[in-house]
Amino acid sequence: MDLDVVSDNFAFMMGGLGLTVQLAVITIVCGLMLGTLLALARLSSRVWLYWPATAYIHFFRGLPLILVIFWLYFLFPVITGKPMQAFAAAIVSFIVFEAAYFAEIIRAGIQSIPEGQSMAARASGLTGYQTVRYVILPQALRNMVPALVTQSVVIFQDTSLAYVIGLREFLRRVNLVDAREARSVELYLFAGAVYFAICSAGSLASQRLEKRRERMSLA
Amino acid sequence: MGILNYTFDWSVLWRDPYGGMLVKGILTTLQLSLLAWLIALVLGLAVGLCRVLPLRFTRLVGGAYVQVFRNTPLLVQLFFWYFAAPLLLPKPAQAWLYDNVPNYAFWAGVVALGTYTASRVAEQFRAGLMAIPRDQYRAAYATGLTTVQVYRYVIAPFALRLILPPFTTEFLTCFKNSALAMTIGVMEVTHTAYYIDSFTWHGLETTTAASAVYLCIAACITAGMAFTEKRVRIPGMIVRR
Amino acid sequence: MIQIQHVSLWYDKTHKALDDVSESIRRGQTVVICGPSGSGKSSLLRCINGLERFQEGRVVVDGVSVRQPGTDIHKLRAEIGMVFQHFELYPHMTVMQNITLAPMRVRKMSRAVAEKKAMALLERVGIPEKASRFPEELSGGQKQRVAIARALAMEPKIMLFDEPTSALDPEMIKEVLDVMTDLAREGMTMVVVTHEMGFARGVADRIVFMSQAKIVETGTGSDFSSARKTKGPASFWNGS
Repeated sequence: MDLDVVSDNFAFMMGGLGLTVQLAVITIVCGLMLGTLLALARLSSRVWLYWPATAYIHFFRGLPLILVIFWLYFLFPVITGKPMQAFAAAIVSFIVFEAAYFAEIIRAGIQSIPEGQSMAARASGLTGYQTVRYVILPQALRNMVPALVTQSVVIFQDTSLAYVIGLREFLRRVNLVDAREARSVELYLFAGAVYFAICSAGSLASQRLEKRRERMSLA
Repeated sequence: MGILNYTFDWSVLWRDPYGGMLVKGILTTLQLSLLAWLIALVLGLAVGLCRVLPLRFTRLVGGAYVQVFRNTPLLVQLFFWYFAAPLLLPKPAQAWLYDNVPNYAFWAGVVALGTYTASRVAEQFRAGLMAIPRDQYRAAYATGLTTVQVYRYVIAPFALRLILPPFTTEFLTCFKNSALAMTIGVMEVTHTAYYIDSFTWHGLETTTAASAVYLCIAACITAGMAFTEKRVRIPGMIVRR
Repeated sequence: MIQIQHVSLWYDKTHKALDDVSESIRRGQTVVICGPSGSGKSSLLRCINGLERFQEGRVVVDGVSVRQPGTDIHKLRAEIGMVFQHFELYPHMTVMQNITLAPMRVRKMSRAVAEKKAMALLERVGIPEKASRFPEELSGGQKQRVAIARALAMEPKIMLFDEPTSALDPEMIKEVLDVMTDLAREGMTMVVVTHEMGFARGVADRIVFMSQAKIVETGTGSDFSSARKTKGPASFWNGS
């Protein structure tokens, strides 16, 4: 063990973390928006909304993320005639891919609310919109927040895949240092530790939220 | 411009030598994910059991295992097993490894994918055991059955049915995750699709074909498991999803 | 038959489920335990067959101390039948398999003998035609009668009932209580946690009232119906 290799290249490697976080945040925000639309479409009774959304979700959930990245990377120039920038390719494939997972979490959250709730709300004179806005969504959100946080942790880990199209995010930089210094044990343990610290904080938050949710639903 | 400039050539999918490469890639993907799944099952059940035993020590070990493997990216774990793990071996073992295991990347992939998936399997297994009501254990114990008998005749058959659906999902995840092994040079189907592009500039066709392969195999497995679930279904009980 | 001596049970440092509980039940007696939920009734019941690891005190069943290191707890449990609120039939086994599992695995009975016995018990609880059905195909009352048959198949000396009718629809409660009443009349030693006061008054030799982890009052069925003046239990009786 020689941790000098880590401290000597610390600034360089951690510099990549900025890009990693950036990728994760953009993916989470945009993925959530697209995912919500997909979930609502999947819960819709209109066939022309339901079927495309269902097909989309099944399609992307059936593929490895890495393949989606390549596929987009090859497809984009065919449609536009221009090669795709690595950052754009990574971001777009992440969003398109993770939205399918978010959609399923959101759908399950909405469906977890018993029908009696919406009937009770409607019976008290609330409109359909009011029922969703004041009764269903607040409960559904609380139910799905832990799963959404867990998925966000997964996304944070998935950003490391941007490596394959040459984006210099955190893992790529660790990899570059290893190529120069040949100190794999120290460097990959370090990389693991950094991811572990960030992800376990997220996992812990998710567990806390889940516990709180259970307590509240019991009350 | 754009789409007009591109001439599709689907023949790269079967033309020699690319057709053969793709078939080999598919087989490698299957081998990799099945071997990894084997490790994941054995190790995952052991770790899951550790987490439910009434022993502080095993709980701690099981919990730590799950935390470590779930909170680091699979890619980092792959790199660790491929680049770093051999360096931790004594020199003669290292030399033996490099001389006698030409496809070390494949085995590193199997171990990385297997140990990673084990942490997920362990969690599903634990969740299945926890889903069985406490009184069900008590009812079994109350008739005088021993701990081994309680698990053998009552808890295990019950839990097995509960965890069949999540285990199917985990296997499919394992199967998809096997694509990551391309980063350490394993020639599985995703890598093959990408590789053929560098000779033919027809990566769009090959990646499309690879996508179809993943979706088809996943569909087959899902259908197969749905059939199995039906077979072992307890009459009158709604299959839990 | 059952001696409970100064038993205390903590689930964790702050939560005491039983607080210095003592009680003694003679052979052939039926004792009903009642009280508000969370008062420790079920915990006390589970102490009798060692399903609950109480920290203090002693429980002696038929001369055997439950939590003593040398005690073969599995052997003891085989002598004590138990019936649960939510039936706890094994969902992956048929009614017949549910009843014969313990006789075959614990008593090492042959399948033929165990099944013959199981059939007789099913006749007794009135549902022989359900032998090859799975639990989920039965009504709540039928499930609970199977659970009683399952417990009786071990020829227990004692039967423990943990709110056996609480999860049942009103029209099914009677069919279960009838089976229990017959058992009591035949001289089975029974400890029953229940809110069914009709059953308690009609069948119980003694009623034990628990509140906040303690036994607060003991008496016969008629004692309770006439002693409504007393403080703690009174509100409970009137409330139900």
